[in-house]
Amino acid sequence: MKAFDPVQMATPLFIITIILEIVLARFGKAKANYETRDTAVSLSMGLFSGVAGLLTAGVAAAAAIWAWQYRVFDIPMTAIWAWVALILLEDLTYYWFHRLSHERRFWWAAHVNHHTSQHYNLSTALRQTWTGGLAGTWALWLPLAFLGFPPAMIAIQKGVSLVYQYWIHTEAIRRLPVWFEAVFNTPSHHRVHHARNPRYLDSNYAGILIVWDKLFGTFQPELDEEPCRYGIVKNLATFNILRVAFHEWIGMAADVLRHPRHVLGYVFGRPGWSHDGSRDTSATLKAAWVKSREKDG
Amino acid sequence: MDKSYFIQLAASMAAVAALVGLAAWVGISRPGGPLDVERVRAILAVEFPGRTLDAVWVAADGSGALARSGGMALVLCPIGDGFAARQIPWAQAVSSSFRNGQLRIDLADIAAPVATIALPSWPPKDLAA
Repeated sequence: MKAFDPVQMATPLFIITIILEIVLARFGKAKANYETRDTAVSLSMGLFSGVAGLLTAGVAAAAAIWAWQYRVFDIPMTAIWAWVALILLEDLTYYWFHRLSHERRFWWAAHVNHHTSQHYNLSTALRQTWTGGLAGTWALWLPLAFLGFPPAMIAIQKGVSLVYQYWIHTEAIRRLPVWFEAVFNTPSHHRVHHARNPRYLDSNYAGILIVWDKLFGTFQPELDEEPCRYGIVKNLATFNILRVAFHEWIGMAADVLRHPRHVLGYVFGRPGWSHDGSRDTSATLKAAWVKSREKDG
Repeated sequence: MDKSYFIQLAASMAAVAALVGLAAWVGISRPGGPLDVERVRAILAVEFPGRTLDAVWVAADGSGALARSGGMALVLCPIGDGFAARQIPWAQAVSSSFRNGQLRIDLADIAAPVATIALPSWPPKDLAA
């Protein structure tokens, strides 16, 4: 039996909407910039992330089935309440997965490539990781299977969440109705997440519901007086797709080899952490930004 | 893996090629143009806030730039329609290879390996030390 895969089903929609965004931008009807090589890297990363994912998909599925064998409850896949509960719990899991992926270097190494584009358009959404499976983040979803949600149900909801997050990667939509912005992750909230302005760093980790950021203190609204500058703190100076995919892993390995006594800090510290404090983390960049604002009055 | 997987992969590759071709043909990259000293100063002020620039050199073709800030060299590399910035010790920038009007700076960074900047001469005599 063929498994239901929301991402596979949505692929034609991805293609059509990217064409639409490009054409609308060309005729000045929507805000969007596409740079050819940047687009090529984003789309190729997306294409081959599926191939790379196959390497660990079996392990992740086997682990989920194993956890489900020891489930606490029998949760029926056909009950509406079960889907409502899963939407909330899966989204909460995504929030913490995403926060971990930004705040600890080992998982940042897998996630960083999604943020390496200096553009923010629908193709950026498809700039997906090749090494997420190897980083083991799938383990964060095992408690849901242990709780009793069938692994297929969890896989479907993960796919739905990924498809939801596709359309918010755009500058074409400015703001949505207030009630929607208050509850859901939107293009405006996610632009902030992709911005490298110190004020915007490490914020808006939400998948579908922005309420988690509001609850856990990581929400930052988009401000008209501070337009988003996209990319990472130290932008890449290359379109080499292998460097895009693996640069942080290589950098981390080099740091560990150079400073073996500080292996824990270089692997599990915050991105930018260094044993001598010579590099910038989000916290130091934010502190410097606050200081410069105070200086400017 | 069955045959349908490879058919699907090939179709996806064709779709990627078509979308990249469309983006290239339509030409909606960010408007920029060649760098000048003012623009370099503005970009570096964002990249390295609070830093004083002692001198700025802009590539002859306007793609890339270099500035001295105390004991450091601030390097601006063009990438697509944007830029990537790095800093290295000034002494390292001074000793970078300069041949046929091209300054080639090894940035020793896997994500930004080399910056190539077209300059009339290098190193600058008055600031080399």
